[in-house]
Amino acid sequence: MQTSRHLGVIFFPAYDWAISPTHPEREERLLYTQDQLREEGLFDLPNITEYKPEIATDADLERTHFCFPGPGEVSTESHLVAAGGAIKAARLVMEKQVDRAFALVRPPGHHAMKVVHGNRGFCNINNEAVLIEFIREHYGHKKIAVVDTDCHHGDGTQDIYWHDPDVLFISLHQDGRTLYPGSGFSDELGGPTARGKTINIPLPPNTSDEGFLYVIDNLVQPILDDFKPDLIINSAGQDNHYGDPITNMNFSAQGYAKLNEKLNPDIAVLEGGYSIQGALPYVNLGIILAMAGLDYSRVREPDYNPDELRQSRQITDYIEKLCDLTLKNYFKPPPLKVKPNQYDSRSKSVYYDTDGINDQQLEQIMVCTKCSGVRHLTSKTHSNSTCMGIEIPIDACQRCRDEGYRLLDEARRNFKGNTVKFINRREQEYLTINETELTPMGRYYF
Amino acid sequence: MLLGIDVGGTHTDAVIIDRGGVVATAKVETDHTNLIASLDAVLKKILRSKSGRLPISKINLSTTLTTNAIVEKQLEEVGVLAVSGPGLAPDYFNHDLGEHFHLIEGSIDHRGSLRLALNEVAAREAAADCQRNRLKVFAVVSKFSPRNPDIEQALAELVSAQSDFTTIGHRISGRLNFPRRLATAYYNAAVWRRYNLFADAIAQSIKKHKLDAPINILKADGGTIDFENSRKNPIQTILSGPAASVMGIIALSSITKDAIILDIGGTTTDIAIFADGAPLLEKEGVSFGGRATSVRAIGTHSIGIGGDSTITISPEGKLMVGPQRQGPPLALNGPQPTLIDACNVKGLCDLGDPDRSFAGLKKLAEKNSLTVVELADKVLDLALTTIRAEAGKLLETINQRPVYTVEEVVHGKKINPQRLYVMGGPAAILAPLLGRIFDLETEIPNNFAVANAIGAALTKTTMEIELFADTGKKTMFIPNLDIKRKVSSSYSLSDAQQDGVNELVKYLRENGHPEVTDQDVSVVEAEAFNMVDDYAVGSKTIRVSCQIRPGIEEEIK
Repeated sequence: MQTSRHLGVIFFPAYDWAISPTHPEREERLLYTQDQLREEGLFDLPNITEYKPEIATDADLERTHFCFPGPGEVSTESHLVAAGGAIKAARLVMEKQVDRAFALVRPPGHHAMKVVHGNRGFCNINNEAVLIEFIREHYGHKKIAVVDTDCHHGDGTQDIYWHDPDVLFISLHQDGRTLYPGSGFSDELGGPTARGKTINIPLPPNTSDEGFLYVIDNLVQPILDDFKPDLIINSAGQDNHYGDPITNMNFSAQGYAKLNEKLNPDIAVLEGGYSIQGALPYVNLGIILAMAGLDYSRVREPDYNPDELRQSRQITDYIEKLCDLTLKNYFKPPPLKVKPNQYDSRSKSVYYDTDGINDQQLEQIMVCTKCSGVRHLTSKTHSNSTCMGIEIPIDACQRCRDEGYRLLDEARRNFKGNTVKFINRREQEYLTINETELTPMGRYYF
Repeated sequence: MLLGIDVGGTHTDAVIIDRGGVVATAKVETDHTNLIASLDAVLKKILRSKSGRLPISKINLSTTLTTNAIVEKQLEEVGVLAVSGPGLAPDYFNHDLGEHFHLIEGSIDHRGSLRLALNEVAAREAAADCQRNRLKVFAVVSKFSPRNPDIEQALAELVSAQSDFTTIGHRISGRLNFPRRLATAYYNAAVWRRYNLFADAIAQSIKKHKLDAPINILKADGGTIDFENSRKNPIQTILSGPAASVMGIIALSSITKDAIILDIGGTTTDIAIFADGAPLLEKEGVSFGGRATSVRAIGTHSIGIGGDSTITISPEGKLMVGPQRQGPPLALNGPQPTLIDACNVKGLCDLGDPDRSFAGLKKLAEKNSLTVVELADKVLDLALTTIRAEAGKLLETINQRPVYTVEEVVHGKKINPQRLYVMGGPAAILAPLLGRIFDLETEIPNNFAVANAIGAALTKTTMEIELFADTGKKTMFIPNLDIKRKVSSSYSLSDAQQDGVNELVKYLRENGHPEVTDQDVSVVEAEAFNMVDDYAVGSKTIRVSCQIRPGIEEEIK
């Protein structure tokens, strides 16, 4: 048996919150999980303790996201409690009240990007990113690895840390050619100042335990050994399960528990997973036992049949090749054609499927040789017209820091839109400039 | 007239209460080896008093028999037949259950669906093994039996011919917690014979004293269970003594708000918390004899500071009050300076020979370059701030209990004590100081010397039941009462609440409590969730929990 560790579980099922009555993200999603955990008497075990979530504040959201027009418009109390659950997990681990923590909370968050106008992919607020920025705000700048094992590409987390060389983002998911959100391909490797610090492993449909665990052993582990993070966070989505109604993978509760044991994350945060009766009770139990270092060998779904779930030789070969390629991409990413100490831009179109919002973004990043680079973006939607975000990163050099304030000053004078958000992570200054505070000239021309 | 008896660890107390209040009290020393003799003695004494001749209408009895049997491991060997299915490995739940634990294959899931049939061959082998070992009492428990009792029923039938008594898991508790249900069922079976012999003796003793009134037995939750039912549920009678004391406080003071109760004894101070005038219960059940159980109990937190706590100063200069007690205070010819001696020095009381207190503390003070008054001040400050801090921690734990809706997290009730009640030997001495340090209005209940027996006399019956309905399967099940019924697919949450209340009232009326009405029952949990299959709203899963909260006979006060 493994050595046991003190695990804190923040269990928050939000029994009074749903996107809509028949939406997969609805009230009873974690009901059967709670039944299972209760019946197992899990919280009576001496090394597993249940905790109540905190309530995230607007400040927690605004140091992480550009919320347009503001945090109050894009989040509800349930989002603040879910993000607060992730914050509680961070606090428990950072203050050494527990060895490991699992925020078993909903609503989920990994599709929420840097810019937030509403709900996309069932997510408004990125719980992991709020957690990471909370840690950096209160416990200092840390090197953090996020390993996203949800079946859907963690495009939100990827977007938030695209330019951050100190947050390694690794996503294992079903190939984007076959599943929402249609991204997360091998060549998505991070921005010019954080090249190779975004790693995507698009897995073919019907990948089973064997394939997932191969990726952990032969790709994720060597990368983590090289990156040497201070903390590992697992975005613990559970929709790779063979019973999940909206995906096509063949992962099992035993597989999830083994993956977790190998990965050994400091903090896990629940993401998706919609086989709420057949999978979640067993997967969550397996993850909790693995995180607590307890015996999970008897955790299995009642209908579990490993022979039926075995992946084909073809899939195995494909995954082996994919791992070889991806490992090379991490250690020697193909260089980008950028000029040092000048702005590089990327434009993208983001669709908020739940709220039907179309967002056209243009982002500019300083390709700084000393830090991860000051960046600014404009975001154009029907609902909020044009908004601007400026961010001075936590590791900003003096030049990028001063450039951030120059951009702010210029926006105050010349921006022809309705809201400017300013984040200075280096000196922890956060500002919102509303339409009325922009110069009359700017408003007039808009 | 009500007769309350508390056969406690040191003393056996009895009171008779009439509308006007306490009309007679009696106290004898408890004979630990012969509890019936103690009961006899206290009955003899109280019934000889003038008021004792009046007709008694109800007898409430609190006894340490079951508690002692478990603590002293005077337990009968039990054949434990358990069916766990997938989940936690057996090492986590099969300990401290005697020598005859049998894990048998079979599985029921969280919705109560049978996923793997009971392995009957293995079950029969287990029963045969118990037969060879001459076991006569059994505990049969399956995982998720509060959702589907079939496996437990089958096991109970299998051993029925060879068993004198079988405890069935879902009858013990309708709450989900398999390891607690297992431990509780085991203890219940293990103390059953001893308890029933004792119950026979109680019945004889009561008869001998020519009393003809219904008998109720005190439980750990501050309520009672009728005598006949206690014979099948002896585990419910553990830890009833402390619960009786708490109920006594309610009887002696009108507690209506959030409050803190401190019971200061010689060795320890017990802290209990009240919300809106009702004592808070342990969340899932009390932990006892090395196992967490599903027995409902008033939550008390014990800290090692009491009136007789020894004062020590370590070689490094660290002052301690307790947790040791080495005897009475110096003032009463004890061996070591105690908290009460410090009170004597400060002039807060005038117990025994204060000069002895002064001399003892002075010796200790001088060794540590303090004046005697400085030392007494430090001792009092340490004792009181420790009690305050521990009460604060307990309150924080209660207020930080997990809740599961956005509404409760954001707007949930927090317990905010308005009053402090102090009871026990040193209460009068310490209450004013405690009131100051807690910054709360403080009250010392009268008559607290027999609060336990008063609590016993006045407390009423309590019971909790769970109801689980699945409109997809068209079933409704109340595990505690073994009521399983077909319901229509339109069965609603309000139907379920109604059924829960009705069945609880009906059961209690038929079991010694004709006075119980709907008004006594509160619905503590009521949830209905749509079960969506293939993205369409289909059936509902409904969970209801009803209880009769602990309370006292109001009209007597």
